[in-house]
Amino acid sequence: MNESLSAKRRASIALGAAALLVLSAALLASRSPALGMYARGLEFAILGGSFIMAVAFAVAIPCGIVAASGPRAFDSALRFLCNCVSSLPTVFIAAVLWAWSTRTLVYLSALGLLHGLELAWLLRCEAVRLEASDHDFGPRALGSTPLVALVRQRLPASIGPVLVSASFSIAWLTALDAALTQAGLRPPAAPPTWGPLLGAPNPNPLASILAAGSVALLTAALHTLFRPPARSAIDNS
Amino acid sequence: MNLQAAIRSLLGIALTLVAVSLGSLWACASYAARTHANSDPFASLPLFFNRAPVGIAELAQTAMRDVSRGGPDAERASRELARLGGAALPYVLPALDSLDPESRVRVALALTRVAERMEVGNRDDFSSGDQAVLFWTRFWQDRAIDFRAPAVRHSTARLAEREVALRREDLIHVDTFALPSLIEALGEVKTPSDAARIERLDSVLAHVTGRSVTLGAGANVDEAARSAEAWRDFWDLHGSEYTALDGPRRLVATFAETRYGKWLGDVLRGGFGRTRSGESARSLVARSLPATLLLLLGGLGGGFSLAVAWARFERRASTAGARYASAVLGTALAAIPCATFVRLLSGSEPSRASYLAAAAIVMLTTAAWVSRHLSRSTLVANGSSPLAGAFFVSAPLGATYPPFVLSAIVLVELGFHLPGLGGAAARALGSGDTNAWMAASLALALATLLLRELAELVRPRVTARVAEGES
Repeated sequence: MNESLSAKRRASIALGAAALLVLSAALLASRSPALGMYARGLEFAILGGSFIMAVAFAVAIPCGIVAASGPRAFDSALRFLCNCVSSLPTVFIAAVLWAWSTRTLVYLSALGLLHGLELAWLLRCEAVRLEASDHDFGPRALGSTPLVALVRQRLPASIGPVLVSASFSIAWLTALDAALTQAGLRPPAAPPTWGPLLGAPNPNPLASILAAGSVALLTAALHTLFRPPARSAIDNS
Repeated sequence: MNLQAAIRSLLGIALTLVAVSLGSLWACASYAARTHANSDPFASLPLFFNRAPVGIAELAQTAMRDVSRGGPDAERASRELARLGGAALPYVLPALDSLDPESRVRVALALTRVAERMEVGNRDDFSSGDQAVLFWTRFWQDRAIDFRAPAVRHSTARLAEREVALRREDLIHVDTFALPSLIEALGEVKTPSDAARIERLDSVLAHVTGRSVTLGAGANVDEAARSAEAWRDFWDLHGSEYTALDGPRRLVATFAETRYGKWLGDVLRGGFGRTRSGESARSLVARSLPATLLLLLGGLGGGFSLAVAWARFERRASTAGARYASAVLGTALAAIPCATFVRLLSGSEPSRASYLAAAAIVMLTTAAWVSRHLSRSTLVANGSSPLAGAFFVSAPLGATYPPFVLSAIVLVELGFHLPGLGGAAARALGSGDTNAWMAASLALALATLLLRELAELVRPRVTARVAEGES
């Protein structure tokens, strides 16, 4: 019963997202520059958010697992890096990365790396927590758990919080973009995104409302998509 | 927390701050380079490592070589020799004999302005090239002994003590060679006698550097202190150009003659340098810290507490409708950028209401964001109360949500025109004001790290207390 409900929910979200895409395509075809900006922003949010998520996973999973299983120096290094990165507002780091990057893809990769570090720390903490609470799981001290055992047994159970956090990727990217716009740190040559619609002083109200609603909808869609694996991972833990 | 753990925490904070300062300087330089907003007076220096630091010896020899060759660069090099003044003479005059006669004449004539400033020669002494060469040869035979650091330091100390015309002349006769001693003699300015000392030194400093006199007769203590600071800033910028880099000094200069080294020098002298508007960076931090701390406490403390209450409500809500509405509201608040809320609510003038609105935005967006993580992660599995779960997951989330809160603080400070560190840092980054950026961003980082350490200190006790209460 629950599974069918979940499937229905996922289907409805997928339908909603598809409708949004169709609407965007229609808007893109229209000649209104503001609504066209919304559509191009949607493209950036979806592609950019997905790319950041992919890079973040690629960074987080190996780093988090290696930090949780040892050597201890790697765990300390990850903690130190996370401390450094998280002691400054992300908006400044993003501003510098965007100014420094010659291409948007480089900027997105750097953001993915940044997000990946945060997710790696979440994964590491969850793996260590599970290891400490499971008395049947071999050697428990940090740095002495066999990597293979950790990957096979602990990774599927530890991934839940990471999935939850990753589902905010699009919202995170859009929030950064809007923040950069509002702080006046967005590069003038940056591609059209939702940042100016959500952070600039006088945007087109319709496009602005559409963009805000779309971020919320896309985040909810990602939550819904990630909820079953996250839930099963958390239940298994 | 035992002493060992406390020391370890403090060392960790210090190490993190060093790393953040390195990253922040690189960030500011990179941003300024890309946006052409560079206003750093040290922009020509390398960031972290100077492979070939340049001192007076190198500058003097290069200028002398360019003057002796003649051609289009000679006039510029001649001006450079005049600027370097007496400090360059110990390197230029002994080398005159090694030049061919024509080059020797060019160099000797190029030093005319220096001789006039030093009040040791007049136009007649330089009416011809041969006379100029003769003048400088005799000058060095007679006066080389005066170009010794101890002698100059003695003259400076005497002038600093009281107005002695002869000592003033002695210092003017060695020109810029006296600069290190003169700057060192500035000292602290607290009493009227200190102000009188600065006035005497200021007149000599202005003469030898060709800068305008900064103090009028009978200057008060504040004016004298500002003048002393201005001369120290000048020395910070140009000091190495009047100093010989030999032996260990050259080794030190590979680090000290960098942008990071200059900034660190300011920090070690007890400040963060001066912002572009002329304000001390330390006073900028002192002025901006209260507003930011208020928002930081509201965001990290209030936002987290609200998130716990929210998650608790969502978990215990009796109807599915209430849970659904709470989830929708939470997701919307977490997903819609904070900048949008700031844009909608911000005003033009800072007031008590704007502080409240700013704190509410930071707290609500943080609470929504954290509560989504709480309600969807560990709590579900643990079956524990939201409070226990919240404290349990606060450690991993500690790497994730402070930057979120800090970004929100930057935005509300900018949007509501609040005098905070985040807004100051954003403006400094945008305008390339390195000192203001470094001071504001490091103060922000320090406040965040200290609050996090405090939370780490409290967390185990609160978790244990909560667990006890539940059992």
